[in-house]
Amino acid sequence: MSEVLKKIGQLVISLTGVVIIWSLFANSGFISQKLFPTPGQILRAAIDLYQDGVLMSDLQISLTRAAVGFSIGASLGIALGLLTARVKVVSVALEPFLNLLRPIPAIALVPVAIVWFGIGEGSKYFVISYTVFLAVWLNTHAGASDVASTYIRAARSLGASKTREFFEVIIPASAPMIFVGLRLGAALAFLSLVAAELSGASSGIGFRLQDARQFIRTDRMFVGLIQLGILGALLDAAFAYLGRRLVHWENA
Amino acid sequence: MNAQTDIGRIDIKEAEVTFKSPGGDRVEALAATDLVIDPGSFVSLIGPSGCGKSTMLNAVGGFVPLTSGVIELDGEPVKGINPDVGVVFQQYALFPWFTALGNVMFALKRFKISKQERLERAYAALKEVGLEGRERTYPGQLSGGMRQRVALARVFVTSPKVLLMDEPFGALDAQTRVAMHEILLRIWEAHRTTVLFVTHDVDEALILSDCAHIMSAGPGRIIETMDVKQERPRHVDNIGPDFLEARNHIIRLLRQPGGKDH
Repeated sequence: MSEVLKKIGQLVISLTGVVIIWSLFANSGFISQKLFPTPGQILRAAIDLYQDGVLMSDLQISLTRAAVGFSIGASLGIALGLLTARVKVVSVALEPFLNLLRPIPAIALVPVAIVWFGIGEGSKYFVISYTVFLAVWLNTHAGASDVASTYIRAARSLGASKTREFFEVIIPASAPMIFVGLRLGAALAFLSLVAAELSGASSGIGFRLQDARQFIRTDRMFVGLIQLGILGALLDAAFAYLGRRLVHWENA
Repeated sequence: MNAQTDIGRIDIKEAEVTFKSPGGDRVEALAATDLVIDPGSFVSLIGPSGCGKSTMLNAVGGFVPLTSGVIELDGEPVKGINPDVGVVFQQYALFPWFTALGNVMFALKRFKISKQERLERAYAALKEVGLEGRERTYPGQLSGGMRQRVALARVFVTSPKVLLMDEPFGALDAQTRVAMHEILLRIWEAHRTTVLFVTHDVDEALILSDCAHIMSAGPGRIIETMDVKQERPRHVDNIGPDFLEARNHIIRLLRQPGGKDH
Protein backbone atom coordinates (compact mmCIF):
# COMPACT_ATOMS: atom_id res chain seq x y z
CA MET A 1 0.00 0.00 0.00
CA SER A 2 2.77 2.45 0.93
CA GLU A 3 4.34 1.59 -2.45
CA VAL A 4 1.17 2.81 -4.16
CA LEU A 5 1.09 5.98 -2.07
CA LYS A 6 4.73 6.62 -2.91
CA LYS A 7 4.01 6.25 -6.62
CA ILE A 8 1.00 8.57 -6.39
CA GLY A 9 3.14 11.07 -4.50
CA GLN A 10 5.81 11.00 -7.19
CA LEU A 11 3.18 11.44 -9.88
CA VAL A 12 1.68 14.47 -8.10
CA ILE A 13 5.09 16.10 -7.64
CA SER A 14 6.09 15.49 -11.24
CA LEU A 15 2.77 16.75 -12.66
CA THR A 16 2.78 19.84 -10.43
CA GLY A 17 6.27 20.66 -11.69
CA VAL A 18 5.22 20.28 -15.31
CA VAL A 19 2.11 22.44 -14.83
CA ILE A 20 4.15 25.21 -13.12
CA ILE A 21 6.82 25.30 -15.84
CA TRP A 22 4.11 25.11 -18.50
CA SER A 23 2.25 28.06 -16.92
CA LEU A 24 5.40 30.15 -16.68
CA PHE A 25 6.25 29.46 -20.30
CA ALA A 26 2.72 30.00 -21.65
CA ASN A 27 2.41 33.26 -19.67
CA SER A 28 5.89 34.52 -20.55
CA GLY A 29 4.78 36.17 -23.79
CA PHE A 30 7.47 34.44 -25.86
CA ILE A 31 4.82 32.57 -27.73
CA SER A 32 1.19 33.27 -28.56
CA GLN A 33 -1.29 31.66 -26.21
CA LYS A 34 -3.28 30.82 -29.32
CA LEU A 35 -0.51 28.35 -30.18
CA PHE A 36 0.50 27.34 -26.67
CA PRO A 37 -2.40 27.68 -24.23
CA THR A 38 -2.00 27.95 -20.47
CA PRO A 39 -3.08 25.05 -18.23
CA GLY A 40 -6.02 27.22 -17.13
CA GLN A 41 -7.22 27.66 -20.71
CA ILE A 42 -6.94 23.94 -21.34
CA LEU A 43 -8.98 23.23 -18.21
CA ARG A 44 -11.64 25.70 -19.36
CA ALA A 45 -11.75 24.08 -22.80
CA ALA A 46 -12.18 20.70 -21.12
CA ILE A 47 -15.08 22.03 -19.01
CA ASP A 48 -16.70 23.55 -22.13
CA LEU A 49 -16.41 20.28 -24.01
CA TYR A 50 -17.79 18.43 -21.01
CA GLN A 51 -20.77 20.77 -20.75
CA ASP A 52 -21.46 20.36 -24.46
CA GLY A 53 -21.59 16.61 -23.78
CA VAL A 54 -18.91 16.05 -26.42
CA LEU A 55 -16.11 15.11 -24.03
CA MET A 56 -17.93 12.10 -22.61
CA SER A 57 -19.51 10.98 -25.88
CA ASP A 58 -16.14 11.15 -27.69
CA LEU A 59 -14.58 9.17 -24.88
CA GLN A 60 -17.31 6.57 -25.03
CA ILE A 61 -17.20 6.28 -28.82
CA SER A 62 -13.41 6.01 -28.96
CA LEU A 63 -13.27 3.52 -26.10
CA THR A 64 -15.92 1.35 -27.73
CA ARG A 65 -14.02 1.34 -31.02
CA ALA A 66 -10.79 0.47 -29.25
CA ALA A 67 -12.49 -2.26 -27.21
CA VAL A 68 -14.25 -3.88 -30.19
CA GLY A 69 -11.17 -3.69 -32.40
CA PHE A 70 -8.98 -4.98 -29.58
CA SER A 71 -11.27 -7.91 -28.81
CA ILE A 72 -11.42 -9.04 -32.43
CA GLY A 73 -7.69 -8.61 -33.01
CA ALA A 74 -6.65 -10.17 -29.71
CA SER A 75 -8.86 -13.26 -30.05
CA LEU A 76 -7.68 -13.89 -33.59
CA GLY A 77 -4.08 -13.20 -32.59
CA ILE A 78 -4.11 -15.66 -29.68
CA ALA A 79 -5.90 -18.38 -31.65
CA LEU A 80 -3.70 -18.08 -34.72
CA GLY A 81 -0.51 -17.61 -32.68
CA LEU A 82 -1.11 -20.90 -30.89
CA LEU A 83 -1.86 -22.62 -34.20
CA THR A 84 1.12 -21.26 -36.15
CA ALA A 85 3.40 -22.20 -33.25
CA ARG A 86 2.12 -25.73 -32.69
CA VAL A 87 0.52 -26.96 -35.91
CA LYS A 88 2.97 -27.51 -38.73
CA VAL A 89 0.44 -27.16 -41.58
CA VAL A 90 -0.88 -23.84 -40.31
CA SER A 91 2.61 -22.54 -39.73
CA VAL A 92 3.77 -23.42 -43.24
CA ALA A 93 0.64 -21.90 -44.75
CA LEU A 94 0.44 -18.68 -42.77
CA GLU A 95 3.69 -17.69 -41.13
CA PRO A 96 5.46 -16.27 -44.22
CA PHE A 97 2.34 -14.32 -45.16
CA LEU A 98 1.90 -12.88 -41.67
CA ASN A 99 5.55 -11.93 -41.54
CA LEU A 100 5.06 -9.99 -44.79
CA LEU A 101 2.09 -8.17 -43.28
CA ARG A 102 4.05 -7.08 -40.22
CA PRO A 103 5.95 -4.15 -41.75
CA ILE A 104 2.76 -2.54 -43.14
CA PRO A 105 1.85 0.26 -40.73
CA ALA A 106 -1.77 0.50 -39.63
CA ILE A 107 -2.01 4.09 -40.87
CA ALA A 108 -1.31 2.90 -44.40
CA LEU A 109 -4.42 0.73 -44.16
CA VAL A 110 -6.75 3.63 -43.31
CA PRO A 111 -7.46 4.60 -46.96
CA VAL A 112 -8.10 0.97 -47.89
CA ALA A 113 -10.33 0.51 -44.87
CA ILE A 114 -12.37 3.58 -45.78
CA VAL A 115 -12.90 2.31 -49.32
CA TRP A 116 -13.87 -1.13 -48.05
CA PHE A 117 -15.93 -0.24 -45.02
CA GLY A 118 -16.84 3.44 -45.44
CA ILE A 119 -16.21 6.05 -42.78
CA GLY A 120 -18.46 4.26 -40.28
CA GLU A 121 -17.42 1.98 -37.47
CA GLY A 122 -16.36 -0.87 -39.76
CA SER A 123 -13.21 0.85 -40.99
CA LYS A 124 -12.18 1.72 -37.43
CA TYR A 125 -12.66 -1.84 -36.23
CA PHE A 126 -10.71 -3.12 -39.19
CA VAL A 127 -7.68 -0.89 -38.70
CA ILE A 128 -7.57 -1.39 -34.93
CA SER A 129 -8.07 -5.13 -34.98
CA TYR A 130 -5.44 -5.51 -37.70
CA THR A 131 -2.84 -3.72 -35.57
CA VAL A 132 -3.76 -5.57 -32.39
CA PHE A 133 -3.87 -8.87 -34.20
CA LEU A 134 -0.30 -8.62 -35.48
CA ALA A 135 1.13 -7.69 -32.08
CA VAL A 136 -0.77 -10.41 -30.24
CA TRP A 137 -0.12 -13.02 -32.92
CA LEU A 138 3.63 -12.36 -32.96
CA ASN A 139 4.02 -12.61 -29.17
CA THR A 140 1.69 -15.60 -28.79
CA HIS A 141 3.54 -17.36 -31.57
CA ALA A 142 6.91 -16.66 -29.92
CA GLY A 143 5.64 -17.83 -26.52
CA ALA A 144 3.98 -20.99 -27.80
CA SER A 145 6.96 -21.92 -30.01
CA ASP A 146 9.29 -21.67 -27.07
CA VAL A 147 7.58 -23.86 -24.46
CA ALA A 148 10.30 -25.63 -22.44
CA SER A 149 10.70 -29.19 -23.73
CA THR A 150 10.77 -30.48 -20.14
CA TYR A 151 7.15 -29.39 -19.69
CA ILE A 152 6.11 -31.22 -22.84
CA ARG A 153 8.10 -34.33 -21.96
CA ALA A 154 6.66 -34.26 -18.45
CA ALA A 155 3.11 -33.94 -19.78
CA ARG A 156 3.55 -36.79 -22.24
CA SER A 157 5.27 -39.08 -19.77
CA LEU A 158 2.37 -38.44 -17.39
CA GLY A 159 0.04 -39.75 -20.06
CA ALA A 160 -1.58 -36.44 -21.09
CA SER A 161 -3.51 -36.50 -24.36
CA LYS A 162 -2.72 -33.98 -27.12
CA THR A 163 -5.76 -31.96 -26.09
CA ARG A 164 -4.72 -31.83 -22.45
CA GLU A 165 -1.16 -31.03 -23.45
CA PHE A 166 -2.49 -28.07 -25.46
CA PHE A 167 -4.86 -26.65 -22.86
CA GLU A 168 -3.05 -27.51 -19.64
CA VAL A 169 0.57 -27.06 -20.72
CA ILE A 170 1.04 -25.12 -23.98
CA ILE A 171 -1.47 -22.38 -23.20
CA PRO A 172 -0.38 -21.66 -19.61
CA ALA A 173 3.28 -21.90 -20.60
CA SER A 174 2.65 -19.31 -23.34
CA ALA A 175 0.50 -17.11 -21.11
CA PRO A 176 3.30 -14.74 -20.05
CA MET A 177 4.12 -13.93 -23.67
CA ILE A 178 0.43 -13.72 -24.59
CA PHE A 179 0.10 -11.04 -21.94
CA VAL A 180 3.09 -9.16 -23.31
CA GLY A 181 1.27 -9.19 -26.66
CA LEU A 182 -2.03 -8.06 -25.15
CA ARG A 183 -0.39 -5.18 -23.33
CA LEU A 184 1.43 -4.07 -26.45
CA GLY A 185 -1.76 -4.58 -28.45
CA ALA A 186 -3.71 -2.33 -26.09
CA ALA A 187 -1.17 0.47 -26.60
CA LEU A 188 -1.24 -0.05 -30.38
CA ALA A 189 -5.05 -0.10 -30.37
CA PHE A 190 -4.95 3.51 -29.26
CA LEU A 191 -2.36 4.43 -31.81
CA SER A 192 -4.38 3.03 -34.68
CA LEU A 193 -7.64 4.31 -33.21
CA VAL A 194 -6.36 7.87 -33.48
CA ALA A 195 -4.92 7.19 -36.92
CA ALA A 196 -8.31 5.95 -38.08
CA GLU A 197 -10.22 8.80 -36.46
CA LEU A 198 -7.95 11.55 -37.74
CA SER A 199 -9.03 10.88 -41.29
CA GLY A 200 -12.56 9.88 -42.02
CA ALA A 201 -14.52 10.07 -38.81
CA SER A 202 -17.28 12.27 -37.46
CA SER A 203 -16.85 11.50 -33.78
CA GLY A 204 -14.28 10.31 -31.27
CA ILE A 205 -11.18 11.78 -29.72
CA GLY A 206 -9.18 11.68 -32.96
CA PHE A 207 -11.97 13.44 -34.84
CA ARG A 208 -12.14 16.11 -32.12
CA LEU A 209 -8.41 16.75 -32.53
CA GLN A 210 -8.83 17.19 -36.27
CA ASP A 211 -11.90 19.34 -35.74
CA ALA A 212 -10.00 21.59 -33.33
CA ARG A 213 -7.30 22.06 -35.95
CA GLN A 214 -9.83 23.54 -38.39
CA PHE A 215 -10.54 26.31 -35.88
CA ILE A 216 -6.99 26.49 -34.53
CA ARG A 217 -8.30 25.60 -31.05
CA THR A 218 -5.01 24.49 -29.56
CA ASP A 219 -6.61 24.35 -26.11
CA ARG A 220 -9.08 21.73 -27.34
CA MET A 221 -6.30 19.78 -29.02
CA PHE A 222 -4.49 19.55 -25.71
CA VAL A 223 -7.66 18.30 -24.04
CA GLY A 224 -7.72 15.47 -26.57
CA LEU A 225 -4.03 14.72 -26.11
CA ILE A 226 -4.37 14.62 -22.33
CA GLN A 227 -7.42 12.36 -22.62
CA LEU A 228 -5.41 9.95 -24.77
CA GLY A 229 -2.48 10.05 -22.37
CA ILE A 230 -4.60 9.30 -19.31
CA LEU A 231 -6.57 6.56 -21.06
CA GLY A 232 -3.43 4.90 -22.37
CA ALA A 233 -1.70 5.00 -18.99
CA LEU A 234 -4.75 3.60 -17.16
CA LEU A 235 -5.18 0.85 -19.69
CA ASP A 236 -1.53 -0.11 -19.52
CA ALA A 237 -1.66 -0.23 -15.73
CA ALA A 238 -4.81 -2.34 -15.88
CA PHE A 239 -3.17 -4.83 -18.23
CA ALA A 240 -0.02 -4.96 -16.12
CA TYR A 241 -2.16 -5.69 -13.05
CA LEU A 242 -4.23 -8.30 -14.85
CA GLY A 243 -1.07 -9.95 -16.14
CA ARG A 244 0.44 -10.14 -12.67
CA ARG A 245 -2.74 -11.72 -11.30
CA LEU A 246 -3.37 -14.22 -14.08
CA VAL A 247 0.26 -15.19 -14.72
CA HIS A 248 1.10 -15.08 -11.02
CA TRP A 249 3.73 -17.84 -11.23
CA GLU A 250 5.99 -15.73 -13.45
CA ASN A 251 7.04 -13.36 -10.66
CA ALA A 252 6.87 -15.83 -7.80
CA MET B 1 2.63 -52.09 -5.62
CA ASN B 2 5.10 -54.09 -7.66
CA ALA B 3 6.60 -55.81 -4.65
CA GLN B 4 7.98 -59.29 -5.36
CA THR B 5 6.57 -59.34 -8.86
CA ASP B 6 8.16 -59.48 -12.24
CA ILE B 7 6.90 -56.12 -13.40
CA GLY B 8 9.45 -53.53 -14.41
CA ARG B 9 12.18 -55.51 -16.14
CA ILE B 10 14.30 -53.55 -18.60
CA ASP B 11 16.27 -55.36 -21.33
CA ILE B 12 18.70 -53.21 -23.22
CA LYS B 13 19.99 -55.12 -26.26
CA GLU B 14 22.75 -53.75 -28.47
CA ALA B 15 21.24 -50.31 -27.98
CA GLU B 16 23.15 -47.60 -29.81
CA VAL B 17 22.47 -43.89 -30.15
CA THR B 18 24.34 -41.59 -32.52
CA PHE B 19 23.66 -37.92 -33.07
CA LYS B 20 24.66 -35.55 -35.80
CA SER B 21 26.66 -32.71 -34.28
CA PRO B 22 25.93 -29.15 -35.48
CA GLY B 23 29.11 -29.46 -37.55
CA GLY B 24 27.66 -32.51 -39.32
CA ASP B 25 29.92 -35.07 -37.60
CA ARG B 26 28.49 -38.29 -36.23
CA VAL B 27 28.71 -38.38 -32.46
CA GLU B 28 28.36 -41.74 -30.77
CA ALA B 29 26.48 -40.76 -27.62
CA LEU B 30 25.98 -44.37 -26.64
CA ALA B 31 27.98 -47.25 -28.11
CA ALA B 32 26.16 -50.57 -28.54
CA THR B 33 25.23 -51.55 -25.00
CA ASP B 34 23.72 -54.64 -23.42
CA LEU B 35 22.18 -54.36 -20.00
CA VAL B 36 19.50 -56.15 -18.01
CA ILE B 37 17.81 -54.37 -15.15
CA ASP B 38 15.93 -56.65 -12.78
CA PRO B 39 12.39 -55.83 -11.68
CA GLY B 40 12.29 -53.84 -8.48
CA SER B 41 15.99 -53.05 -8.41
CA PHE B 42 17.61 -49.67 -7.93
CA VAL B 43 20.29 -49.15 -10.56
CA SER B 44 22.54 -46.13 -11.02
CA LEU B 45 24.37 -44.91 -14.09
CA ILE B 46 27.36 -42.85 -13.06
CA GLY B 47 29.96 -41.00 -15.05
CA PRO B 48 31.14 -37.61 -16.28
CA SER B 49 29.15 -35.44 -18.69
CA GLY B 50 29.10 -36.87 -22.18
CA CYS B 51 29.36 -40.48 -21.05
CA GLY B 52 25.93 -41.33 -22.40
CA LYS B 53 24.19 -41.85 -19.07
CA SER B 54 21.40 -39.38 -19.80
CA THR B 55 21.18 -40.65 -23.37
CA MET B 56 20.61 -44.18 -22.11
CA LEU B 57 17.96 -42.96 -19.70
CA ASN B 58 16.26 -40.91 -22.40
CA ALA B 59 16.28 -43.92 -24.72
CA VAL B 60 14.60 -46.07 -22.06
CA GLY B 61 12.04 -43.29 -21.58
CA GLY B 62 11.36 -43.14 -25.31
CA PHE B 63 12.52 -39.52 -25.53
CA VAL B 64 15.44 -40.38 -27.80
CA PRO B 65 15.17 -42.93 -30.61
CA LEU B 66 17.78 -45.68 -30.87
CA THR B 67 20.02 -45.73 -33.91
CA SER B 68 20.14 -49.51 -33.64
CA GLY B 69 19.31 -52.24 -31.16
CA VAL B 70 16.25 -52.50 -28.97
CA ILE B 71 15.12 -51.70 -25.45
CA GLU B 72 12.35 -53.82 -23.98
CA LEU B 73 10.19 -53.07 -21.01
CA ASP B 74 8.69 -56.33 -19.72
CA GLY B 75 9.28 -57.81 -23.15
CA GLU B 76 7.62 -54.94 -25.04
CA PRO B 77 9.92 -52.83 -27.21
CA VAL B 78 10.04 -49.15 -26.22
CA LYS B 79 8.56 -47.18 -29.13
CA GLY B 80 8.03 -43.78 -27.61
CA ILE B 81 6.98 -42.02 -24.47
CA ASN B 82 5.04 -44.40 -22.26
CA PRO B 83 3.12 -43.36 -19.15
CA ASP B 84 4.07 -46.66 -17.47
CA VAL B 85 7.55 -45.19 -17.25
CA GLY B 86 7.71 -42.40 -14.67
CA VAL B 87 10.30 -39.68 -15.04
CA VAL B 88 11.79 -37.25 -12.54
CA PHE B 89 13.67 -34.65 -14.52
CA GLN B 90 16.92 -32.85 -13.96
CA GLN B 91 15.39 -29.39 -14.11
CA TYR B 92 12.24 -28.82 -12.22
CA ALA B 93 9.55 -29.98 -14.56
CA LEU B 94 6.68 -29.18 -12.23
CA PHE B 95 4.03 -27.03 -13.89
CA PRO B 96 4.35 -23.66 -12.15
CA TRP B 97 0.76 -22.75 -13.04
CA PHE B 98 -0.64 -25.63 -10.99
CA THR B 99 -0.44 -26.04 -7.22
CA ALA B 100 1.41 -28.99 -5.69
CA LEU B 101 -1.94 -30.78 -5.63
CA GLY B 102 -2.72 -29.73 -9.20
CA ASN B 103 0.58 -31.19 -10.37
CA VAL B 104 -0.15 -34.54 -8.74
CA MET B 105 -3.73 -34.49 -10.03
CA PHE B 106 -2.37 -33.93 -13.54
CA ALA B 107 -0.77 -37.37 -13.40
CA LEU B 108 -4.01 -39.00 -12.23
CA LYS B 109 -6.26 -37.58 -14.94
CA ARG B 110 -5.60 -40.41 -17.36
CA PHE B 111 -7.15 -42.93 -14.98
CA LYS B 112 -10.86 -43.57 -15.14
CA ILE B 113 -11.53 -43.02 -11.47
CA SER B 114 -13.77 -40.56 -9.67
CA LYS B 115 -12.57 -37.06 -8.84
CA GLN B 116 -12.97 -37.94 -5.18
CA GLU B 117 -10.64 -40.91 -5.52
CA ARG B 118 -8.14 -38.84 -7.46
CA LEU B 119 -8.11 -36.23 -4.73
CA GLU B 120 -7.66 -38.86 -2.05
CA ARG B 121 -4.76 -40.46 -3.87
CA ALA B 122 -3.14 -37.10 -4.57
CA TYR B 123 -3.40 -36.01 -0.94
CA ALA B 124 -1.99 -39.37 0.18
CA ALA B 125 0.94 -39.07 -2.25
CA LEU B 126 1.81 -35.60 -1.00
CA LYS B 127 1.57 -36.82 2.56
CA GLU B 128 3.92 -39.67 1.73
CA VAL B 129 6.63 -37.18 0.71
CA GLY B 130 6.00 -35.06 3.81
CA LEU B 131 4.15 -32.20 2.17
CA GLU B 132 0.95 -32.39 4.18
CA GLY B 133 -0.50 -28.90 4.50
CA ARG B 134 1.36 -27.66 1.40
CA GLU B 135 -1.12 -29.06 -1.12
CA ARG B 136 -2.38 -25.68 -2.27
CA THR B 137 1.06 -24.09 -2.59
CA TYR B 138 2.46 -23.18 -6.00
CA PRO B 139 5.91 -24.56 -6.94
CA GLY B 140 7.31 -21.02 -7.03
CA GLN B 141 6.69 -20.73 -3.31
CA LEU B 142 8.37 -24.04 -2.45
CA SER B 143 12.07 -24.67 -1.81
CA GLY B 144 14.08 -26.73 -4.30
CA GLY B 145 13.86 -29.82 -2.10
CA MET B 146 10.11 -29.48 -1.67
CA ARG B 147 9.64 -29.10 -5.42
CA GLN B 148 11.45 -32.36 -6.05
CA ARG B 149 9.30 -33.97 -3.38
CA VAL B 150 6.24 -32.85 -5.34
CA ALA B 151 7.89 -34.32 -8.44
CA LEU B 152 8.34 -37.62 -6.55
CA ALA B 153 4.72 -37.60 -5.42
CA ARG B 154 3.57 -36.81 -8.97
CA VAL B 155 5.44 -39.77 -10.37
CA PHE B 156 4.86 -42.36 -7.61
CA VAL B 157 1.12 -41.63 -7.40
CA THR B 158 0.54 -43.55 -10.65
CA SER B 159 2.66 -46.55 -9.54
CA PRO B 160 4.74 -46.65 -12.73
CA LYS B 161 6.46 -49.90 -13.73
CA VAL B 162 9.78 -48.15 -14.05
CA LEU B 163 11.05 -44.87 -12.68
CA LEU B 164 13.72 -42.88 -14.49
CA MET B 165 15.57 -40.19 -12.57
CA ASP B 166 17.97 -37.85 -14.32
CA GLU B 167 20.20 -36.17 -11.72
CA PRO B 168 17.08 -35.19 -9.82
CA PHE B 169 18.93 -33.81 -6.82
CA GLY B 170 21.83 -32.20 -8.67
CA ALA B 171 20.67 -28.67 -7.96
CA LEU B 172 20.11 -29.18 -4.23
CA ASP B 173 22.47 -28.39 -1.36
CA ALA B 174 24.20 -31.29 0.41
CA GLN B 175 21.89 -31.44 3.42
CA THR B 176 18.70 -31.28 1.40
CA ARG B 177 20.10 -33.94 -0.86
CA VAL B 178 20.64 -36.32 2.08
CA ALA B 179 17.07 -35.70 3.21
CA MET B 180 15.84 -36.41 -0.33
CA HIS B 181 17.77 -39.69 -0.43
CA GLU B 182 15.99 -40.83 2.72
CA ILE B 183 12.58 -39.90 1.36
CA LEU B 184 13.29 -41.56 -1.98
CA LEU B 185 14.53 -44.79 -0.38
CA ARG B 186 11.56 -44.90 1.99
CA ILE B 187 9.08 -44.56 -0.88
CA TRP B 188 11.02 -46.92 -3.11
CA GLU B 189 11.07 -49.58 -0.42
CA ALA B 190 7.30 -49.24 -0.10
CA HIS B 191 6.61 -49.38 -3.86
CA ARG B 192 9.58 -51.41 -5.16
CA THR B 193 9.42 -49.77 -8.55
CA THR B 194 12.42 -50.44 -10.77
CA VAL B 195 14.56 -47.28 -10.62
CA LEU B 196 17.14 -46.19 -13.15
CA PHE B 197 19.03 -43.30 -11.59
CA VAL B 198 21.51 -41.08 -13.40
CA THR B 199 24.06 -39.12 -11.38
CA HIS B 200 27.63 -37.91 -11.42
CA ASP B 201 27.83 -38.08 -7.63
CA VAL B 202 29.58 -41.29 -6.50
CA ASP B 203 28.29 -41.15 -2.92
CA GLU B 204 24.74 -40.68 -4.13
CA ALA B 205 24.97 -43.71 -6.41
CA LEU B 206 26.37 -45.91 -3.64
CA ILE B 207 23.91 -44.80 -0.97
CA LEU B 208 20.92 -45.41 -3.20
CA SER B 209 21.59 -48.31 -5.51
CA ASP B 210 21.77 -52.08 -5.59
CA CYS B 211 24.03 -51.82 -8.56
CA ALA B 212 26.05 -49.01 -10.14
CA HIS B 213 27.20 -48.93 -13.75
CA ILE B 214 30.24 -46.74 -14.24
CA MET B 215 30.30 -45.07 -17.63
CA SER B 216 32.88 -43.26 -19.69
CA ALA B 217 32.78 -40.84 -22.60
CA GLY B 218 33.94 -40.99 -26.21
CA PRO B 219 31.98 -43.10 -27.11
CA GLY B 220 29.56 -43.32 -24.21
CA ARG B 221 29.72 -46.82 -22.73
CA ILE B 222 29.67 -48.84 -19.50
CA ILE B 223 33.21 -49.54 -18.32
CA GLU B 224 32.43 -51.38 -15.12
CA THR B 225 29.50 -52.67 -13.13
CA MET B 226 29.57 -52.81 -9.38
CA ASP B 227 27.10 -54.43 -6.99
CA VAL B 228 26.64 -52.46 -3.80
CA LYS B 229 26.63 -54.88 -0.89
CA GLN B 230 25.84 -52.47 1.93
CA GLU B 231 22.76 -53.55 3.95
CA ARG B 232 19.56 -51.52 3.75
CA PRO B 233 18.31 -49.26 5.20
CA ARG B 234 21.39 -47.19 4.56
CA HIS B 235 22.41 -43.86 6.00
CA VAL B 236 25.28 -41.51 5.32
CA ASP B 237 26.22 -41.80 8.99
CA ASN B 238 26.82 -45.58 9.00
CA ILE B 239 29.15 -46.05 6.07
CA GLY B 240 31.24 -49.21 6.30
CA PRO B 241 34.73 -49.98 4.94
CA ASP B 242 33.22 -51.77 1.90
CA PHE B 243 31.48 -48.59 0.95
CA LEU B 244 34.65 -46.53 1.20
CA GLU B 245 36.58 -49.02 -0.84
CA ALA B 246 33.93 -49.05 -3.54
CA ARG B 247 33.85 -45.28 -3.53
CA ASN B 248 37.60 -44.93 -3.94
CA HIS B 249 37.61 -47.54 -6.67
CA ILE B 250 34.93 -45.71 -8.67
CA ILE B 251 36.64 -42.35 -8.24
CA ARG B 252 39.91 -43.85 -9.53
CA LEU B 253 38.05 -45.35 -12.48
CA LEU B 254 36.45 -42.04 -13.35
CA ARG B 255 39.85 -40.34 -13.20
CA GLN B 256 41.36 -42.65 -15.82
CA PRO B 257 42.22 -41.09 -19.19
CA GLY B 258 39.25 -42.84 -20.83
CA GLY B 259 36.82 -40.91 -18.68
CA LYS B 260 37.76 -37.27 -18.55
CA ASP B 261 36.77 -35.17 -15.55
CA HIS B 262 33.98 -32.70 -16.23
